[in-house]
Amino acid sequence: MIQSFLLVGLPYAAVLVCVLGSIWRFRSKRFSYSALSSQFLEDRQLLWGSGPWHVGIFVVLAGHAVAFLVPSVWASLVSNRTVLIGVEVLGLGAAILAILGLVILTLRRLRNGRVQAVTTTVDLVVLGILLVQVVLGLLTAVTHRWGASWSTGTASPYLWSLATLRPDPALVADLPAVVQAHMALAWVILLLVPFSRLVHLFSLPVLYVFRAPLVVVWANPRRFERATAFVERIEARRYFLRATAGLAAGGALLAAGTFDQFVHFFFGPRMSEKQSADLMEKKLARLEQNAAQKKLELERTRQAYIRVAKVSELSPKKGRYFVDYEMRPALAFQGQDGLPVLRSAKCTHLGCTVGSDVDAQGRILCPCHVSYFDVGTGRPNPGAPAKDPLPAIGWVLMDADLNIVASRSPDGAVHGAPDPSQLQDLDVYIAKAPEGRRA
Amino acid sequence: MKRTAVAAVVALLAALNARAAAHGEYQEFVRKSSGRPVDCALCHAHSNGPEGTAAGQIGSLSAEELSRLGRARAAFEPGANVDSPILNDFGDLILQRVGKKRVLELRSAPDRLPDELGVASDLDADGVPDAREYLEGTHPLIASDGDPWSLFVHNVRRHVFQLVMITAATLITLFGLGNLLHGFAVRLRAKESAGKGAGT
Amino acid sequence: MKLGEIAGGTATFVRERFPVEKLNAESMLTKKVVPVHRMSWAYYLGGLALFFFLVQIVTGLMLLFYYQPTVSDAHASVEYITQHVSGGALVRNLHAWSSSAMILSIIVHVLTTFAMKAFAKPRELTWVTGVALAMLVFGFGFTGYLLPWNQIAVNATKVGLQSIEAVGQYLPGEMATWPTYVRETIQGEAAVGQATLSRFYALHVIVLPFLVAGLLGLHLFQVQIHGMSRGVDSERVGSQKFFPFFVIKDLSVWGVAFLVLFVLGLCLPFESFFAYPLMEPFDPLGSTPEGIKPEWYFFFVYYPLELLPYWAVMLGMTAAVVGLFVAPWILRGASRRTLRAIAIAAAVYLVVITVFGQPIYEALKGVNP
Repeated sequence: MIQSFLLVGLPYAAVLVCVLGSIWRFRSKRFSYSALSSQFLEDRQLLWGSGPWHVGIFVVLAGHAVAFLVPSVWASLVSNRTVLIGVEVLGLGAAILAILGLVILTLRRLRNGRVQAVTTTVDLVVLGILLVQVVLGLLTAVTHRWGASWSTGTASPYLWSLATLRPDPALVADLPAVVQAHMALAWVILLLVPFSRLVHLFSLPVLYVFRAPLVVVWANPRRFERATAFVERIEARRYFLRATAGLAAGGALLAAGTFDQFVHFFFGPRMSEKQSADLMEKKLARLEQNAAQKKLELERTRQAYIRVAKVSELSPKKGRYFVDYEMRPALAFQGQDGLPVLRSAKCTHLGCTVGSDVDAQGRILCPCHVSYFDVGTGRPNPGAPAKDPLPAIGWVLMDADLNIVASRSPDGAVHGAPDPSQLQDLDVYIAKAPEGRRA
Repeated sequence: MKRTAVAAVVALLAALNARAAAHGEYQEFVRKSSGRPVDCALCHAHSNGPEGTAAGQIGSLSAEELSRLGRARAAFEPGANVDSPILNDFGDLILQRVGKKRVLELRSAPDRLPDELGVASDLDADGVPDAREYLEGTHPLIASDGDPWSLFVHNVRRHVFQLVMITAATLITLFGLGNLLHGFAVRLRAKESAGKGAGT
Repeated sequence: MKLGEIAGGTATFVRERFPVEKLNAESMLTKKVVPVHRMSWAYYLGGLALFFFLVQIVTGLMLLFYYQPTVSDAHASVEYITQHVSGGALVRNLHAWSSSAMILSIIVHVLTTFAMKAFAKPRELTWVTGVALAMLVFGFGFTGYLLPWNQIAVNATKVGLQSIEAVGQYLPGEMATWPTYVRETIQGEAAVGQATLSRFYALHVIVLPFLVAGLLGLHLFQVQIHGMSRGVDSERVGSQKFFPFFVIKDLSVWGVAFLVLFVLGLCLPFESFFAYPLMEPFDPLGSTPEGIKPEWYFFFVYYPLELLPYWAVMLGMTAAVVGLFVAPWILRGASRRTLRAIAIAAAVYLVVITVFGQPIYEALKGVNP
């Protein structure tokens, strides 16, 4: 019963009283239609109280208003993590600012004699209620976090149901007590508007903030000069104020926009199990490849002979890649006489690896800068970027018992003659060059 | 015993494969149509194609992977859920969408593969459909590879929120700097006129 | 006597470059003025390059958190950064875009200061350190290109290093092998491998940054002592105070540069301009892929190397570098008009060879294999 009064009866009553009361006050006591400033009585504490309070409450109310007026837009905005955190932090900061301001204003009312003299009971009541209200809001924000997000599904539709005259208190009925108290108190404050200095809400001097300063000057050269200097000082100050505001806002926006990304960069990724397994597999494959290369290198340092292939595996049309003693790529072919032809595959131009397919003219191609090398002689085609022939590599033919049957030195001289009938079963080896004779 | 069996299967598959696997026609077509050097890694797991003993090539497969390979080979009709150990995701997608039979037929008309793939699939989510990436010779699985302008437009749409934020931040900062400049200019003018006033 | 003269000459030279009466904050900061004329925009280029250098330091340090400089892990770690680390692709892309932007602004900076005869006495030191800085920045580009350890980068590095060895063919006798030793010293072993990666990493991350920081300090110090050069022959040259006016404008330019850089970094992958996918890690035994090319800022020497005899290119490049270093002395009497003509010619060459290098190459070589 009480709850339905607070959530439905009170709102309508408050709005009604607020509207009618404001009209009555405007008609009966027009000149009281202001904040009833006491600035001329005391201005220092007022500055430190009123400033923070108004800035803070303005930010907080603007947040509330946007969330209530365009809940869908707001919801899509705060679905971005950075924005949600930014909004909550901003809201908390503004609320604390407002509370500080209110406390200073309250102390000023209570302690300054001159101000006390013009203070009414209603003033103190309003100050107290506002303080309680902001503290309730702060408690809501702290104890039930991410209100910027959940309010779009609760408080906003509730307000809309009130505004469209189809009140539905069920939307907020199950919210925690602190939130309900916050809402009820809001209606009480609205109720009090026409009977307190809060009525200045309806007479905001908005344009005052934006207009240039008016300076009244007597038509006197000396005074004019002084006034000009004064105006220039004010003008400069306005520029500096705007500059500070712009730089601060720009910097804050920049920080808010990039902070999330950069902080997460250092967190390191959160990978799924499959992703990390895939990554590990890939790294393992790379390590194995690296290990295989190290094995080749070790083999080439230790062994006097390295096996390339069986003679029968060689072809005159397609070269077979192997790694020579310098760890450089090389190719093995079958020559016209049936004996192997071993040739470096490192292009003599700029060191690319030459392709293995032999074309119709018996040449292999380096794809980098289009040089054709003759397989038989190693010489590049005339006009090719490469000038030197691909060096020949000597080979040794051995049988299954590792007896040397024949060999050829890099300069082409063949020693020994393999039996043509057994040739296909022999293995091709490369031999380590004697010390001090690096190819 | 088991190992020899596996080896025999490998040899057999490799022999079968020599005819059907290396679909050089597609590679040749992409090279010609796009002018970009494309290798087997467009569709295969290894850039030198399926033959060999390196990871992602037939010579390196385990028994489980071989059975997956067998299933992929049997996907003659479209619609099968393919996960071939020698193909990358784009290769799997082609088999899924088109089917093995059609892939073999299309070797004579590789330009028609994009039509059969359709424009719906974009495996690397870079805004350029796989079929178009195939035509343009860019990699369908690498988000940073693609027609620069299309990537730019896609990314602008994707990051519109951040872009608006950063533009606003920069503009506000520039506004601040501009006012700072004005402020200093006014102060300088005031100082100069004051100096002049004192002089006269 | 002779020695005394040299010592005296050196002392005078140093005194004129580091005038004691100007070595104070007031003279270097508050009293410094910047000329205002139709070439004033050129005064922002150095600051712009500095901005991009700062971006490079920040993004580079961030990449260092994840990058692993070993041949088995380098490529995987770069992939890890771009695919898994939150914001990693953005940071790496910013690093790439900013490096190109830095080099571009430095090239234009060199050309404009040359055309404005900003190297004239007493600013010789500024010019010489500036040219050295430009060289170091190219060194950054060359060493950084290798670090992802993919097929294209390693093979391009191989080709680049191999061109050192090609000098040997013009040297007599025993000296013919010296370039080979130079190349092997740079790459640390007979072939490009782990040693090369380690060395390039050390150069890119430690040596070059410190060298640049030192030289940059001297460069900026000289700029602040001697102020901006007048730059034009025109009589009507206004001036504005360096601090705060020029500094604020400089910062505004940085703001715009940041916005453009960020948009590019977020939305346009630098790699999408490469004519080949960068996916493959380097395989020492695999075949070299086709179409390997250095970054665009090396095209001005790459295409001539492809098209002209090697000795001609080397001679031309050596002459250009030496000429740049000694410009303040050999061009002491040159008028700004002459210098502008030279700078424009150089700019036209750079633009043409960088933008139309490939078509020119194909047309002249007649290649379409």
